[in-house]
Amino acid sequence: MLVMILETTQPSKLMKNTTHFGFKEVATDDKQSLVRGVFDSVASKYDLMNDVLSFGAHRLWKRYTIASSNVKTGDKVLDIAGGTGDLAIEFRKKVGESGQVILSDINAAMLGEGRKNLINKGVFGVDYVQLNAQYLPFEDNTFDCISIAFGLRNVTDKDQALSEMQRILKPGGCLLILEFSTTDSEFLKKFYDFYSFNIMPKLGGIVADDEESYQYLAESIRKHPDQETLKDMVLEAGFGFCEYHNLSGGIVALHKGIKT
Amino acid sequence: MQHFVLEQALNFLIQNGSVDIKPLESKVIRFSLIDSFLEVNFVCTNNRIFVTSDTNTPSDVAIKLKPNVFFALFKGEDLTDLLRQDKIQIHGDVKTAQLLVDLLTEADIDLEEMLSQYTGDIVAHEIGKKAEKFKKIAKDSSNPIEALKNGLSNLLISPKVSKRYANKNQ
Repeated sequence: MLVMILETTQPSKLMKNTTHFGFKEVATDDKQSLVRGVFDSVASKYDLMNDVLSFGAHRLWKRYTIASSNVKTGDKVLDIAGGTGDLAIEFRKKVGESGQVILSDINAAMLGEGRKNLINKGVFGVDYVQLNAQYLPFEDNTFDCISIAFGLRNVTDKDQALSEMQRILKPGGCLLILEFSTTDSEFLKKFYDFYSFNIMPKLGGIVADDEESYQYLAESIRKHPDQETLKDMVLEAGFGFCEYHNLSGGIVALHKGIKT
Repeated sequence: MQHFVLEQALNFLIQNGSVDIKPLESKVIRFSLIDSFLEVNFVCTNNRIFVTSDTNTPSDVAIKLKPNVFFALFKGEDLTDLLRQDKIQIHGDVKTAQLLVDLLTEADIDLEEMLSQYTGDIVAHEIGKKAEKFKKIAKDSSNPIEALKNGLSNLLISPKVSKRYANKNQ
């Protein structure tokens, strides 16, 4: 099933007129289409680039995310910004026939890649929904688990998206946010900065023929809230508990929010 | 890491029907080891348990005990006896505390089986053996939790390939 729902409700509050797109300040209304442009461009090489840029580590980070989810047979899971479907495949195995997994993305090209990827791997029984994380088209208290891996930093109004996720999770439901974050290690920080701004865009140019998109990737990571700030945002959105676990020295963090 | 392993073990048991946490639904149980770093909440909700370290939130019952008593609980020592001997402090609902202790005791029994879900039977068996060894070290040590933590770190940083596993691939 492929459903396209981009906006179903109006924003609950007025957003600022400008926001960041990487290091650039852009009109809030423009960010969504700019991010879409990036992912339209990289969709077909997304998995390959993830492997190249993270030296395969993204698979370990995602495996840890799945293991932390506590998802079990019969659960309903929503994977937001699910891209090529890495998490959805594993969630599908966990929920079994009696459960439900929805793979969603705002970007049609990425969702198409995800659908193709799952079919190629023989994974069926997953629903596909094109949606905007700020306006989730589901009833209150629907899901046992919601995941968003490397997607939240591209969302224009993160607070609204988190509130929406809180709304549609069941009490006791779990939100998993896997995202690039901030490392405390000075050595790692220097290496990571050099790698992000000098190597990563070049690799993007060579492998995906798109240096600019990978420059945006590096910049958007730096603009994303650090671990403590994101934790506060999750709690502010109404979650009863939130904890984070640093992975690879804090280059990536997994935030886990529990709706009480 | 301890939080993660404990959470996985308990939820594995719940999923397999070995334990029933319905009586603990919506309960938050604070569990702390005196003179050590371990202070966690067991958040029981939606028929699963989350182990968190955010202890600023209110709990239904707080259990405080020394590390050696913690391991005694894992071995199935009677909670009432430990209470009588003042080896454990419970603030709140004792019945809820007893239910949690029962869960922890059961988690120990199936440690190896639980790990096999994530690591494969052979590796789980090796880790299961290591875990028994860690417990012995912890029991004999003056700082059992630190000893346990070091042992676990050593295992994760420098894992060895099991000989049986190597043979299997030949």
